[in-house]
Amino acid sequence: MSARNVAVVAAKDLRITITKRSARLSLVIFPLVIAVGPPLLARFTGAGHHGVPAVLMPRVLDAFTFYFVIIAAVLPTAIASYSLVGEKIERSLEPLLATPVTDGEVLAGKGLAAFLPPIAAIWAASVLFMALCDELTRGELGRLYFPNTTALLIVGVVAPLAAIFGVEYSVLISSRLSDVRPVHQLATLSVLPFAGVYVAAQVGAVTLDQPTLAVIAGALAALDAVLFAATRATFRREEILIRWA
Amino acid sequence: MIEIQELTRTFGATTAVDRLTLTIAEGEVFGLLGPNGAGKTTTVRMLSGLIGRTSGDATVAGFRLSDPGSARKLRGAIGLLPEEPGLYPDLSAAAVLDFYGRLYQVPAALRADRIEKLLTLLSLWDRRDAPARTFSKGMRQRLAIARALIHDPPVLFLDEPTANLDPEGAKTVRDFLLELRRERRTILLSTHLLDEAERICDRVGVLHTRLLAVGPPAELRAGRHGHVTQVQLAEVTDAVLAAARVAAAGPVEVTGGAVAVPVGDPGRDNPALVAAIVAAGGRIRFVTEATTSLEDAYLTLLGSTQHGNPQPGNRQPAVTQLEGTTLGGPQ
Repeated sequence: MSARNVAVVAAKDLRITITKRSARLSLVIFPLVIAVGPPLLARFTGAGHHGVPAVLMPRVLDAFTFYFVIIAAVLPTAIASYSLVGEKIERSLEPLLATPVTDGEVLAGKGLAAFLPPIAAIWAASVLFMALCDELTRGELGRLYFPNTTALLIVGVVAPLAAIFGVEYSVLISSRLSDVRPVHQLATLSVLPFAGVYVAAQVGAVTLDQPTLAVIAGALAALDAVLFAATRATFRREEILIRWA
Repeated sequence: MIEIQELTRTFGATTAVDRLTLTIAEGEVFGLLGPNGAGKTTTVRMLSGLIGRTSGDATVAGFRLSDPGSARKLRGAIGLLPEEPGLYPDLSAAAVLDFYGRLYQVPAALRADRIEKLLTLLSLWDRRDAPARTFSKGMRQRLAIARALIHDPPVLFLDEPTANLDPEGAKTVRDFLLELRRERRTILLSTHLLDEAERICDRVGVLHTRLLAVGPPAELRAGRHGHVTQVQLAEVTDAVLAAARVAAAGPVEVTGGAVAVPVGDPGRDNPALVAAIVAAGGRIRFVTEATTSLEDAYLTLLGSTQHGNPQPGNRQPAVTQLEGTTLGGPQ
């Protein structure tokens, strides 16, 4: 696989992504809402509006941090859906595949282009989130809660794995449909497993501690590997040109 | 430059291309004619390495389809214009060409030169920074042609290059194709526009799953019907008809005051024919060569195929080999 070809395909897709206003807005608005909303909730809600009690604060902040995993699973789906279905609609895959690029390079380039902007936005938003949380909860907690290993595990490991899951799931759906909207609608279902984990944490079925997050990351990595194999099997030029059109 | 041997592609029970054998010489422009569903696009896709073959093989620009190790090099040696332009509507014309130039690993300086040259030649330079979505159909098609040429390939596959264009747009594209022909590029032009094929191509082949006929357009026209000399007379008498039949190479037809006389070689046979008619008392008004259009020849070929109802695996003589031609290209 040529890293150069992967980079060329990814750069092209990134260029197209930034021309789309809706993509730009979703990359800014969702992470920003998660970065600003929960810290304000933590500080200004609760009994007597004095915020969440200090004893509960770490658990609440960890749960809020997990929101970044949830949006990591869903944000790349819009870009990935358009990336493939858009090429179907424009019939641009045939000339692309007629170049010396391999199927794997096209797939990797598209995956990278769908993965990088959301994860960059999520990381930038998480820095803002942690800084805001520290600022707003320092008095209550008597210390800076962020950064910590749990948060870094969530944002630095689980969120990227969730984003890869979202990209690959979108690619699989894109291979079966030819309209961006239903593909995106179905692709957003990739959020469900992560929402499930969040709910389980809220009802006390699981604790979002480091061992649990390590297990989630391991399971996600395995799932990503399975989905990657499935997308490679789906994304074959003959399949694309004969069945996708 | 392109050698195809028994190339076959089936999709389930359907045979799209059946034992296609053909040689296209370097610098030749070859037109692949056929109706929709004749297998033209499948042929182009197989030769471009986009889809596999069921059996047979081909060598394109020195690379064999059957050699998986040369697939990348093969694709680097050809330029493809698919049936649909397949551009990126949000990218500018220059950005589209730059992207493809990078994929073909054209060095940056050369890439910039080629982009300018091609966009200028195709009258798109002034719109180089405009997104492709703002282009007319003709402009998109020209941009797609520029894309196929960005790496200066020795072999070009053009699939219906003027389909769906208005007459002016089609003319611009055809003029550019004639320019490419002057550059002696090897071009396989798939089309169902017979006039276009006749104007641009050195040779044409009629494909309808099988290759039905191949040769220069003029010979394809003459090949099915031979040469026919039309003699317009003041009066067609029995004596004149008898004289014409003696000189004819086939059945003589009479239409009004004219007789249509098949001849082997008009240059050689017409003086004797005219002399015989005059000797028989015929008063000749004028003599012309009855021409058969490429369309007539094409429809006759297709008609005979449909009546013959070719089936996959039906080994009947597959190709009409025209007088003075071979399945190989001009030597």
